[in-house]
Amino acid sequence: MLKQCPVIVKREILYMWRDRGLRNILIIGSLLGLFLFMGIYSQPRIDHISTAIVDLDKSGASRKVIAELKNTQDLEVVCYPDNFEQLEELIKRGQVTVGVVIPENYAKNIALQRQTKVAVFIDGANIIYATNAASAVLRVTRTLGAEVGVKTLIARGIQPDQAKEAYQSIDIREEAWFNPTLNYAYFLVLPLVLNIWQQCCMLASCMNIIGESGVRSWLQIKVSGVSTFKLFFYKSIVHVGIFMLIILPVYFLAFVVFKLPLNCGFITFLLFTLVFAISLHSVGTLISSFSRNAVDASRFGMVIALPSFVISGFTWPLAAMPQWFQPVAWVLPQTWFFQGINYLFFKNPGWEFMSCYFLTLGIMSIICYSLAALFTHGLKARFR
Amino acid sequence: MKQILNIAYYEVVQILKDRILFLIIFFVPLLYTLLLGMIYASSILQHVPLGIVDLDNSVESRNVVSAFENTNNFNVIPEIDTYAGLEKGMKNGTVRAGVVIPDDYSQKLSQHRLTQILIVYDGSNLIYGFNTRRYFQQVLNIFSADHTAAYLGGLGMSKQEITNVMDTVSVNMQVWYNPTYNYNTFIFPGLVILILHQIGLLGIGLTITREKERNSWIQYICAAVPQWKIFMGKALPYFIVNFFNYSLLLWVVARFVNVKVEGSLALILLLGLLFNIIITSLGFVISLYSSNSLQVVRYLMLLSIPLFFISGFTWPGTQMPALLYWLSRLLPYTWMAEGFRWVTVKDLGYNYLNITIIMLSIIAAVTLFFALTFSKRRNPPVGEGLVVNSRNTYPSRF
Repeated sequence: MLKQCPVIVKREILYMWRDRGLRNILIIGSLLGLFLFMGIYSQPRIDHISTAIVDLDKSGASRKVIAELKNTQDLEVVCYPDNFEQLEELIKRGQVTVGVVIPENYAKNIALQRQTKVAVFIDGANIIYATNAASAVLRVTRTLGAEVGVKTLIARGIQPDQAKEAYQSIDIREEAWFNPTLNYAYFLVLPLVLNIWQQCCMLASCMNIIGESGVRSWLQIKVSGVSTFKLFFYKSIVHVGIFMLIILPVYFLAFVVFKLPLNCGFITFLLFTLVFAISLHSVGTLISSFSRNAVDASRFGMVIALPSFVISGFTWPLAAMPQWFQPVAWVLPQTWFFQGINYLFFKNPGWEFMSCYFLTLGIMSIICYSLAALFTHGLKARFR
Repeated sequence: MKQILNIAYYEVVQILKDRILFLIIFFVPLLYTLLLGMIYASSILQHVPLGIVDLDNSVESRNVVSAFENTNNFNVIPEIDTYAGLEKGMKNGTVRAGVVIPDDYSQKLSQHRLTQILIVYDGSNLIYGFNTRRYFQQVLNIFSADHTAAYLGGLGMSKQEITNVMDTVSVNMQVWYNPTYNYNTFIFPGLVILILHQIGLLGIGLTITREKERNSWIQYICAAVPQWKIFMGKALPYFIVNFFNYSLLLWVVARFVNVKVEGSLALILLLGLLFNIIITSLGFVISLYSSNSLQVVRYLMLLSIPLFFISGFTWPGTQMPALLYWLSRLLPYTWMAEGFRWVTVKDLGYNYLNITIIMLSIIAAVTLFFALTFSKRRNPPVGEGLVVNSRNTYPSRF
């Protein structure tokens, strides 16, 4: 059995190399993706959200509001339109995300302890920005309300200590765990690159059986006496080996050059990638076993691989998807993979938790390879 | 005209004969849209699993707990009641946020000393992280106001006086265009345009490679039919199907997927028309210069994710390096996705979209030029084409 191994392996490597399109995709696809996404998220924090302030009061009190808004790192005051119409135009054109209007007589009303309203407008078209802007505004609101409230109470004759206690006796400390700076690059870059990688791998896997059975040389292989199992077993080893080989430079660049923080051990991360590569290859092999030709196999493979990232719940959480849909999502190995790498990358929850991820991907591989073998056996019978 | 219709008829026959292509063109856009519609069905992230560690267990601390229990945004998980449990729950995803009330909370409050509440949230998924942070701010603002009101009540102030003091400055926050932070309204227009872009290119991208693989492209080259007629005939069925898909998907997302689709219908149709011209002519040019169908399928599919993220639809282009920003501005998807959002979500008129329309028109003119004036000279066969297992075409079993 081992004697034929190097021959088949050498033949497969040669064939993969000669498939120029696939070769280019495998070699540069993931690397190009890494550089592209690192570029896109080169400013990985959502802060300094463009803000415009219409100060109709132009008083010391209104300048304090402006100072309070400037104090927060999340907002950046970029202009001071003269009136609401100009502000509306800026938001409509997407030039600012947040607009603040401080009314006339703002200082006077505060001094007279009359009610006054500051209006804040947020462009909600991009909710990533809108959500962060709203959080910042709510925080400023609380601080501003407290400052004015304390002054009002003191003006009403309440002791300064009591006035402060009324507003400031509870301090709230906020911590973002696992990604303390809410860094978008940490959250998204590596998964997006792995998404491209899994698509490239899917394209290669989809050629596994159809690449042999779709050409006349298949008959030569049949009469040569090489067992089908042996042929596809060694072919699969080459494929999975190449998948791992192309991801290594990506991991090197991601973790060593770009310094993305990895919370689990690198070997565990690599092992998990290997288990996924096998299960993904098994799905591709299954697809290639029943497809009519390589184009169809690639189409089927991509129909699954393309939406798998969205289905995996990596961005929009699985828990927020319909109850009945969640088990469907877990059928895809990509869901286990992307969920798994999120846990490993940020949280490292330990072997006890991750074991089911490894196990499920392993079981999926066995099922898909078995089904592919059944289909291929049927094919053999047909040729016989 | 007859020649164009003949070529178009032949193309329709080819589409009908290739069952997979037929399914991809007619059903996959709808299928993907419905699939994404199901994924984002809830559209607003609510019921974030929250663990509250109440180390004080007093009346005052239970007020904090109630503030979080009385909102739909959080779902308090009662099993998490210790700090170690919260840490474990955050690690294994049982909870996505936590509140820790210190054991001396009520004591410090009664002694009028500063006390601290810790709020934590999961930054490993920033959709959770950002929303949870906003929900926390909302709850804490309400809770702080209640606490202040109670304190002032304790000082003997009347309800009216308390209201007057607390409402001296109020902030009225309005979120325009998407006031409920609906994820569908945010992401769906971009995804629908991406589906139309990719499936549109994939359909027509195979029109000439198919002919090349069957050695029938030479008939077109040799026939006394001008290039523009060949393009028109080949592109016509795809143009009609793409426009049908554009209208169908718009109707589906507006009617069934809870996506805000407003704005001028004329503008929506104009954008769709320009985009369709670009996709059809660009796909034709891609097919013209590709060596085979497999190459087209592989490269086109891999472009989806980079296209979406470089377009600035989710992460603004102004945050990207200048090179990437200007590169994205050369892509029709960037302009179409932005223009489509401005019309359907922001309900803006022509005066806001003039640059978008001009840019789409320029791109359409360029792609049309290349599609209409291709060379009919037959390139000598080269051995450099795609080689799959010793063959320079893709293998077929049947």
